Amino acid sequence: MKKVLCGVVAAMMAVSLMAGCGGSNDSSNKNDSSSQNALSSKNDSSSSSSEKVTSLIYGSGADPRGLDTALVDDNESAKATMQIYECLLKYKDDSTEVEPCLAESWDISEDGLTYTFKLRQGVKFHDGTDFNAEAVKFNVDRQTVNKTDDMPYADFVFGTVSECKVIDDYTVAIVLKQKNTAFLANMAMCFGAPIVSPTACKENGGSLMKNPVGTGPYKFVSWSKDDRVVLEKFEDYWGEKGKCDQIIIKTIPDASAKINALTTGEVDIIDGIDTTMVEQLNADTNVTVDLTDGMNINYMAYNTTRLDKETRVALSQSVNVDELVNSLYDGYASKATTILPTFLPGYSEDVAQVAYDADAAKKTLADKGVTEVKVITYSNDRPYNTATGKTLAEAVIGYFDKVGVKADVSTFDWTTYKDKIIAGDYDICFYGWNGDNGDPDNFLNLLSDDDPSMNVARFNDDKFNEYITTGIATAAGDERNAIYAEAEQYVADEAAWLPISHQQNITACRTNIKGFKYHPTATVYLAKVEKE
Amino acid sequence: MSYVKQANALAEETVKIEKPESQLKIMWDALKKNKAALFGLIVIFILVFVALFGDLIAPYNATETNMADAKQGMSAEHWFGTDVHGRDIFSRILSGTKYSLLIGIAAVAFSLIIGTVLGSVAGYFGGKIDAVIMRIMDMMLAIPSILLAITLMAAFGQGLDKAIIAIGVVSIPEFARIVRSSIMSAKENDYVAAAKVLGNSNARIIFRHILPNVVSSIVVRATLGISTAILDIAALGFLGLGVKPPTPEWGTMLGDAKSYILSLPHMIIFPGIVISLAVLAFNLFGDGLRDALDPKSRS
Repeated sequence: MKKVLCGVVAAMMAVSLMAGCGGSNDSSNKNDSSSQNALSSKNDSSSSSSEKVTSLIYGSGADPRGLDTALVDDNESAKATMQIYECLLKYKDDSTEVEPCLAESWDISEDGLTYTFKLRQGVKFHDGTDFNAEAVKFNVDRQTVNKTDDMPYADFVFGTVSECKVIDDYTVAIVLKQKNTAFLANMAMCFGAPIVSPTACKENGGSLMKNPVGTGPYKFVSWSKDDRVVLEKFEDYWGEKGKCDQIIIKTIPDASAKINALTTGEVDIIDGIDTTMVEQLNADTNVTVDLTDGMNINYMAYNTTRLDKETRVALSQSVNVDELVNSLYDGYASKATTILPTFLPGYSEDVAQVAYDADAAKKTLADKGVTEVKVITYSNDRPYNTATGKTLAEAVIGYFDKVGVKADVSTFDWTTYKDKIIAGDYDICFYGWNGDNGDPDNFLNLLSDDDPSMNVARFNDDKFNEYITTGIATAAGDERNAIYAEAEQYVADEAAWLPISHQQNITACRTNIKGFKYHPTATVYLAKVEKE
Repeated sequence: MSYVKQANALAEETVKIEKPESQLKIMWDALKKNKAALFGLIVIFILVFVALFGDLIAPYNATETNMADAKQGMSAEHWFGTDVHGRDIFSRILSGTKYSLLIGIAAVAFSLIIGTVLGSVAGYFGGKIDAVIMRIMDMMLAIPSILLAITLMAAFGQGLDKAIIAIGVVSIPEFARIVRSSIMSAKENDYVAAAKVLGNSNARIIFRHILPNVVSSIVVRATLGISTAILDIAALGFLGLGVKPPTPEWGTMLGDAKSYILSLPHMIIFPGIVISLAVLAFNLFGDGLRDALDPKSRS
C-alpha cells in the first residue's frame, strides 16, 4: 500500500512539475506548492521549503539504452549519465582539453607507461560510499581483468591498460602495456571512464543500467521507460552544486513533436534539430537557437574488398560534394575536406580529396564496365547527418545515375542496418562517426580496425596501419600531427571513404535558460544550467 | 443469371416479345444515377490515363536529381514545388500513379486468384478441407493486415514485386471468405444438381457453373480491395518499407517528406491529396457498383 502511495505521489509530483514549467501564472502556483510538499516530505535534506523547485526539462530524441556507462555506447544515455557520474578528468566546457575532476593532479612516468593520479579527498558517492583509490581500482578492473562481453567501450578506453595499482588511499597508478597518447583524453570520456559506486555495482550484480550511482552533481530518482529520466540535485556534491533542483530528460522520438514541445514550453532544451527548422525557431522570440561545431564526420564508405581503387576514385569523382552538402544541410554542415574535424590536432588544410569530375568518372566507369552498385543505408537521422541516411543516399545515387551507374538501394532501420554492415553484402554504405575524446586517433583508427562494424570500408592496408600504430605512440605535438596529416592524404588517395560533411550541432533552448552548452563530444553537462 | 438466360431462350422460342434489358445495361443505368460513383469512375479513368501516359506528360524527369534546385516552393516552373533532391513533385506524382495503381491492381489480382480458388474449394467440398482452409484464413485474419504486410516486407526486403506479394497475401482471407459463402449458398441450386447429374467434373461445376453466378460480389469486393491495397502500399512506403529509391511511389514520397512537415509542407500535402483521392475514387465506385449489382437495393 505504501509503495502504491509513493508511486502516486511521485507521479503527481512529476505531472505537477511539468505543468508548473509551462507558465508561472496563477493556475500553476497550486501545482508548484503541492510538488514542493511532495519533494520536501520525501527528502528531508532538500532546501528550505519556501523556495520554488526549479526543474530543467531536456527533450531528447531517444530513450537511454541504459544508465551504466560501462554497458552503453549511445549519446542519448550519456545525456542522463553525465549528470550522475564523473570521471577522473573532465573536458573543458567547449573543447576536449582535459582538466582535473575526481583526480586533482596526475603524473606521467618517463617511459610514458605509468599514469599516477592524485585523487580528490572527501568525495562521496550518492549512496554514501567513499570515493577513494579502491573505488578507482574497482572501476578499472571491472573493464579490464573482470571485463564482460557487454562492455562496448572497455577496449577503447582501457585496452592498453595492463594493471591498476593502489598506492595509498588517494593515489592510484595505472600502468599501460604500450604508449597511448590518447589515454588522458580517454579518462574524461562519457563511456567507460565514469566512476561508478563499487558498493552499488556489487549489490546490483554488476549492472547499474536501471539504478545508477555516481559522484556527480545530480542523483538518480526514476526512469520511466520511453518517457523520462528524473534526476535530483545531490546536496552533498563536492564541487559547485547543480543550479536546478531537478533535471528531467524527456524522450520525444518524433522530430516535429520535439520542436513543438520546445515552442510551447513543455521542455526547456532540445537537441538534434533538423536544419530546415532553424529558421522557424529563430523567428520564435521565446527560443534561442545555438549552433556549435560538431566533432563528427559524415561519410560514404566503399567496400574495399569488392570495389577496386580505380572504381572507387571514379565514383567519388562523380559526386559533387559541395553542391550536395549545401543543398541537403542548408549551410548547417560544412563540406568535409578531411576526416578530422577542423579543430582537432592533426587536421591539415593541405589534404586533398578526390575532386569532382563527372566526365572523367563517366569515362573510367564505362571503360571498367561498372553499371550497377549495391548500396545500403539507414532510414533515420543521426547526429552527424540530420537529413537521414536515406535522403543522403538518394542524393548520391542521383549523381551515380548521371554517370551511368544504377544503384540498388536498400534502406534499413538503425539496428538492422548495423547487422547488414557486419554481414558485408554491399558495395557502398553510409556511416558516420562522432568523436569521443578529441584525439585524431579516435577518428583515423576506424580505418585500421579489425572489427567490420567499425571499419565499414573493410579497409586493410599495411602502410595505413603503420601510420596509426606510430601515431598513437607518438607524444602530442607537431611530429604527431604530421603523421596524421600524411595518413589522411594517403587514405584520401586510396578513396576508401568519400568524406561528406561535418555537421554542426543544432540545439535550442527557451530564453529563460542560461548557461547551456552542447559539448563537442555530443553530450551535455547540465549542472551549470540555470532556469530563471 | 442463368435463370434469366433460360427464360430468354424460352421466350424467344414461343412468342416474339421485346428483349429484356441486359444485366450490364441495368447495372449501368443504376450506376449513372449515383453521382458519387460516377465521380469515382471518372477519377479512376483519369488515374488510369495518367498511369499509362504519366511519364510522357510530366514536365520533368521524375527520378533525376538536381540538387541545385532542391526544396523549392510552388512556382510556375514547379507547380507543386521540388523535393529535397530537387525533383519536381508534380512530375513525381504523375509518374508515381502507375506504381500505386499497378501495385493496387496486381495485389488484388494476386489475392483474388488465390482467394477465389481457396474459397471455392472450401465452400464446394465443405467438411475437413473447408475446416483446414478456413482455419488458416482465420489465423491470417487474426493478425492486423498492415502488421502482417510489414513483417512480410521485412522478410522479403524492399521492391515493387515484393510489395505486391506482401499486400496480396494479406488480403487473401477476405476473398476466400466471400467466395466461400457465395459458393455455399449457390451450390444448393438445382442447376448445380443438374450439372452433377450430367457428369461434369467438380472443377467444371465450380468454374463454369457456380462462379459466374457469384461474380458480382467478387467484383465489388475487388474494387474496394484496390483502395485498401493503395492505402496499404502507401503505408508501407511511409514506413520506408515499400519500393526502392528513387521510385516515385506516393507513400514513399509522403514518408520522405514527414520530417519537413513544418518547414516544407508542400512536399507532404500533394502526395497526401492524391492518395486520398485515389482511395476515395475506388471506394465510391465500389460502393456504387455494389448498389447497382444488388437487386434489393436497386428498387
